[in-house]
Amino acid sequence: MNTADPKIQQSLYARHEKIYPRQAHGRFARLRVLSILVLLGIFYGTPLLRWDGHQAVLFDLPARKFYIFGLTLWPQDFVYLAGLLIVAALSLFFFTALAGRIWCGYACPQTVWTEAYIWIERKIEGTRSQQMKRDKAAWSWDKFRVKAIKQTLWLVFSLWTGFTFVGFFTPINELAASFIGFNLGPWETFWIFFYGFATYGNAGWMREQVCEYMCPYARFQSAMFDNDTLIVAYDDMRGEPRGPRKRSVDKSAAGLGDCVDCTLCYQVCPTGIDIRDGLQYECIACSACIDACDEVMDKLGYDRGLIRYTTENAIQNKPSKILRPRIVIYAIILAIATITVFYDLSQRVALDLDVIRDRNQLYRETNEGLIENVYTLKILNMDDNPHAFILSVEGITDLELFTDVDNIYVNAGTVSELIVRLRADEANLSAQSASVSFRLQAQDANHLIVEEEARFLGPRK
Amino acid sequence: MNDMSGMQIPFRQKCIVTLWPSFMIAIVATGLFFSAFDPSELYPYNLDIEINVVGAYTLGFFIFWALSAISSAITLYFAITNCRKIHADQSSHSPS
Ligand code: SF4
Ligand code: SF4
Repeated sequence: MNTADPKIQQSLYARHEKIYPRQAHGRFARLRVLSILVLLGIFYGTPLLRWDGHQAVLFDLPARKFYIFGLTLWPQDFVYLAGLLIVAALSLFFFTALAGRIWCGYACPQTVWTEAYIWIERKIEGTRSQQMKRDKAAWSWDKFRVKAIKQTLWLVFSLWTGFTFVGFFTPINELAASFIGFNLGPWETFWIFFYGFATYGNAGWMREQVCEYMCPYARFQSAMFDNDTLIVAYDDMRGEPRGPRKRSVDKSAAGLGDCVDCTLCYQVCPTGIDIRDGLQYECIACSACIDACDEVMDKLGYDRGLIRYTTENAIQNKPSKILRPRIVIYAIILAIATITVFYDLSQRVALDLDVIRDRNQLYRETNEGLIENVYTLKILNMDDNPHAFILSVEGITDLELFTDVDNIYVNAGTVSELIVRLRADEANLSAQSASVSFRLQAQDANHLIVEEEARFLGPRK
Repeated sequence: MNDMSGMQIPFRQKCIVTLWPSFMIAIVATGLFFSAFDPSELYPYNLDIEINVVGAYTLGFFIFWALSAISSAITLYFAITNCRKIHADQSSHSPS
């Protein structure tokens, strides 16, 4: 769809009218509820899990450490997080090409929370028609009461959401303790309200407008589509000409298609579109219209699937292919990226060594006539245990290494600095600058080993 | 064509297109920046402010947000002011 078309732009920015989606019942509605409950459960439940004496998943910003179950990531490991994000993006591409906007319909936080807020709204305000009637009516005590209850529930739910969100970044039991004791820190308070307010606004008020105006994915997902992508579509060859009829009427004798023009598919749509107008940018593939239409078809004794999951090709009676170059290419890229990230992660060494040359002096000549270079070593022990380390260096014949401590001992999760002097005979230096390689090895753990290159400078040759 | 002049974009949408993309960029920028720099090592002039680490992240986030919002706003301004129309207005004022 060409979003640069001024007409579409006009309609995109048109005045908004509230959409009252009617509740859909059916197999996809159940699947959606299941998916939404699981995802909400994961969000609200994860910060409460414990692992080895700490919160299982904690992006501990104050301490600058990310705990993900058994794994502890440091700012140095940022590249793994970036890698995981790339894998997530590639999976989104892959699944979009394969199955269209299933992400939008079943898993996007926008959808998940919107459905939760709509659920609360329905519990308090009643069905679609009750809501529409009440909103049209003048303000009354009853209207005020109903609205006030809904807003209160929405706000409480938002605050809980904001609280849980902050609980991913600061230990949630401390957070809960200070929350109960009314002594939350100013920043935590701020973020709870900020995130809670964002949830309240997006899921309570903005809803489908987030998808239409704000979501980047919604804008570019069509680039991943082809005629074999799974979409929700109306079979107009079967449905048209549409029109109401009595159940007793023989449709072919009356010259009618299967669509009885009950507009239920439109009434259930959370984005307020009529799927019978064809594939539209607004459609988030929530499949509510499939359920609504199937129910009608069942009542009339017609076959289900006038609106169904299908492909552009299938609707036009052409064969659909699952394996096609686009899918294969996305799959290969995704597989390579996933394997790379997880392999690298499995090879990750919880030890980091930084070598910094002394900036004041290029080199020094000792009394014995040797050339000396001085370095500062920063040792970061990212392991969960303290370790003693053995330091060695190579790269120049008879290179000697001196440190100002006898034992290199670094506590768990801390950085230690060490001054190191290297001495070499000038005769063994073939150039003004030579490369040396430090090797640091934990005494009690073979896998904790790192090497780091550095320059050794001597007199001009 | 992509001529959006003459079209009234509601104020609310203007806010969305300025504040929202910059918000996303600010999250990325904050993540990148603070994974490279530890706020507790960042107080350059021994500032006498009592601010904890989370506060520093928050401040950084809002600075990034503000900067990218300015950029978005300028982009929006350029996109909705039609240069050809300005040009036409100017030439109609000239004597010829
Ligand atoms: S359009 Fe965007 S915001 Fe809406 S459901 Fe899809 S991914 Fe989520
Ligand atoms: S048209 Fe799309 S968004 Fe609307 S109910 Fe059907 S699947 Fe959902």
